[in-house]
Amino acid sequence: MTMHYILLYISVRFLKRGDHHGATKKSALLIFSLLYRSNARSFYDFYDLPMLNGLYLSFFEWSGSAGGRTFIGLDNYVQLFNDSIIPRTIWHDYFLVITKVFGIMILATFFAVALTQLRLREAPFYRVIFFFPNIMSVVVVGILWSFIYNPSLGIVNSGLEAVGLENWTQPWLGSETWALPSLVLPSVWAGIGLFMLMMMAGILNVPKNTYEAARIDGANEWQQFWKVTMPLIWPQIKNSILYIVITTLNGSFILVQVMTQGGPNNSTHVMGSYLYQQAFNQYNFGYGATIGVMILILSLITIMILQFFLRREKVEY
Amino acid sequence: MKYIHSSSKWWMLASAALLLAACGDDTEEEATGGDDPDDSAENGGEEGGEISGDLEIQYFVGGYGDSWWKEIISDFEAEYPDVTVIEHAGPNINDEMRTRWISDDPPDVVYIDGAGSSETQMIEDNQLMDLTDWLDDVELEDGSALLDNFIVEPNRHDGQIYTLPLVFDTWGTWYNAGHFEAEGYEVPTDFDHFMEVMGDVQANEDISPFVTTGQHPYYFLRGMLYPAFASVGGDELLADIVTGAEGAWETPEVVEIMENVEQMQTEGFFDSGLGAFNHTQSQMNFILGDNAFIPVGFWLPNEMANDTPDDFEFGFIPSPMQAAGEPYRVVPDLRPLAIAENAENPDAAKAFVDFAFNREYGELFSEHTGAMVNITDIDLDGNENVPDYLISANEMINDESQVQINQLPHPMSADLEQPISDALVSLMTGNIGAAEFIESAEAAAASYR
Repeated sequence: MTMHYILLYISVRFLKRGDHHGATKKSALLIFSLLYRSNARSFYDFYDLPMLNGLYLSFFEWSGSAGGRTFIGLDNYVQLFNDSIIPRTIWHDYFLVITKVFGIMILATFFAVALTQLRLREAPFYRVIFFFPNIMSVVVVGILWSFIYNPSLGIVNSGLEAVGLENWTQPWLGSETWALPSLVLPSVWAGIGLFMLMMMAGILNVPKNTYEAARIDGANEWQQFWKVTMPLIWPQIKNSILYIVITTLNGSFILVQVMTQGGPNNSTHVMGSYLYQQAFNQYNFGYGATIGVMILILSLITIMILQFFLRREKVEY
Repeated sequence: MKYIHSSSKWWMLASAALLLAACGDDTEEEATGGDDPDDSAENGGEEGGEISGDLEIQYFVGGYGDSWWKEIISDFEAEYPDVTVIEHAGPNINDEMRTRWISDDPPDVVYIDGAGSSETQMIEDNQLMDLTDWLDDVELEDGSALLDNFIVEPNRHDGQIYTLPLVFDTWGTWYNAGHFEAEGYEVPTDFDHFMEVMGDVQANEDISPFVTTGQHPYYFLRGMLYPAFASVGGDELLADIVTGAEGAWETPEVVEIMENVEQMQTEGFFDSGLGAFNHTQSQMNFILGDNAFIPVGFWLPNEMANDTPDDFEFGFIPSPMQAAGEPYRVVPDLRPLAIAENAENPDAAKAFVDFAFNREYGELFSEHTGAMVNITDIDLDGNENVPDYLISANEMINDESQVQINQLPHPMSADLEQPISDALVSLMTGNIGAAEFIESAEAAAASYR
C-alpha cells in the first residue's frame, strides 16, 4: 500500500508539471501504468491466486494441518459425485435461496411501499428498526435465534404454550424435519432491512407525476403498484435478487455453523458448512477445496441463469 | 527517452529503485527465513549440559482452565532460569497455531486437547517426535520409570510412542447428588437399574431424565456407548469399533446395546430437544434441573462453575451401561503431551515434559481442575482442595471390584466418528431405530476401511 501512495504522489507531481512540459505527461502516464500494473498484481494476489490455489488443492489429499500433501488427480471429484450428503447440501442451499428470495423480496417491497406511500409519521423510526438486524453480526443473529428456538427456554415454544398451542411446540433446531425451515426465519429477518432501503430508494426516484397520470387514468393503488412502481424499480429488484442469491450461496454457512453445525444428522448442512466440516473437522482439506470448486461452479451457473430470466427491456419514462 | 526532462529522469530512476526495493524485500525474507542450521544453536538447547533458550508451548484452554499451566510453567522457569517459555494458549489455540504447523514451524511442546486438534492426525502427518527410546530413561520423583507408572499406557502407533497421556479424563454420568438424596432416588448401579431410576424421575418430576448434546453426539458415543461395549467385549470389541472392523456393529452384544438405546428413546427418557443442543446448552439444562443425568467428562463442574447454583451438588458415576452384577467400566479419554518433530529446542521440550510428569504436579492438577493426571498412586484422600466427587471417583477407579478400566487402541478417526455420530443423533431423536442405526454404522465403517 505504501508503494501505491508513493507512486500516486510521484504521478500527481508529474501531472502538475505536465501543464508546462509535454514530456512529463508521458512520464506521468508511465508511472500510472506502473501503478495500474501493481494494482493488477494485487488483484491477482488477493482474488485470483486464492481461487486458483483452491482449484489446485482439490487435486491433492491433504489434512490441512501439516505441510505434506499427496497428488491424487481426480479422486476428490470422484468422491464428490459418490458422496450421498452432497446432493442434500445442494438442495438445502437452494431451499434457502428460494425461500429467502421470496421471503425477503415480498416483505422488503411491502415495507418499502408502506413506508414511502402511506406517509406514516413514524416512517424514519421503522426504517431504523427494520435496518437494525443488518448492523448485527450474523454470528450474533445466529446465537440470538438459537435462544429464541430453544425448546425449553425459547420464546417460540413459550409463546405457543401461552396461546394454548402446546401441540405445535417443537424442538425446532433439533428436529430433522423442522431444523432447515427454522433457519429461514432468521435469514429473512436479518435481510429485510437492507433490501427495504434499496426498494425505498427506487420508489422515491419514481417521479410523482407518473403516479398522478396513472390516477387520472383511473388506476387504483394496486394497479399503480403493478403497472408503475414495479416496472420502474425493476433494476433494484433484479439487483436485490442477485445479491440475495450470491450472499446465500456464499454465506448461509455462517448461520448453519452457529445454529446447528449442519445437524441433526446432516439435515441442515449447506455446501459451505459441509466444506468446513470436511476441511477443518475431518481433516480432508483437499476434499473441502473440491467442494469449494463445486460451490463456485454452481454459483456461476445460477447467476447466469438468473441473468437470463431477469432480463427485461429498459423502462423509459 | 530523449524528450524526458533531466529532473524527470531522476524521478523515474527513483521510482524504479523503489519498485525494485519493494520486490527485493520478499526475496530477502524468503532467503533468510529457511532452514538455517545455526538456528537451533541460536535458539538455545543443551549447551554444555545446560538447558537454555526459548521454549514454545501450545496448550488448549477449555474446561480445566489455565491456572495449572501457569503454575507449572512458572516453576519450570524457576528451575531452568536460562529457558524463556513462550506460551501459546487459549480456547481456539489449535486453529490459531495451524499455520505454524503447516509451515513446519511448530511450537516445541504441544498439549493435544480441544476442537481442532487430533492426536491421530498429527501422527499420520509426521508432526510429532518419536519418544519411544527417550521414554525409557524418564523417571518420576521417586526414581521409578515413568512408563511403569501410567494409569493407562501411552498409545502406540506401529509400536512407537509419539504422545504421553498427561490428563486422565474419563467420561461418566453426572447427577445432582443433593437433589437425588432429597427426592430419594437411588444412584444407578447397572443398566436395568438406570432405566428404573430414569422411570422414577420421569414419573415424579415430569421431565425427560437424560440429556446430551446433539451437536456433538460423540459425547454419547464416548460417554455411554464405549463403556457399554467394554462391558460386553472388553478391549477387543472397542478396538474393532474404533478401527471400523467388518461386522463389529452387527455382533449380538452390540445390537442389544443399541436396542437398549432405542428403548431409552421410546420410553421418552431422552430430552426431545437434544438434537439442537450444543454441549453448553445441554449442560445448562442439566444444571437447571430440566434433566437428571448427563454424560460428560471430569471437566463439567469446572466448565459450569459460573452457572452452578450453590445448592447443586455434583455426583459422578462411571456410566451404568453394564449388566447387573458386572463392574462399571471406564474408558479413559486421555489428553496427551507431545514434542514436535521439528521442535527448535528439543532439549528444553524434553526437560519440560519430564518436569510435568510428577506426582506433586498431579495432585496440584486435581486441585486446580477437578480432574486427574494419568499417574498411579496420587493420594487425593484428605486433600481439602480436591472436590468430593473426584475423591470418590479416584477411589472407585482404583478398586477393580467396582470399576474396570478398558482402553482404546487410539482415538476413533473423525472420518469414522462423524457419520456414526450423525446416525446416533437420529437414533436418539427417534427418527431411526436400532436396526437402521446399525446399518448406517456398518456402512460408515465399510467406507472408512
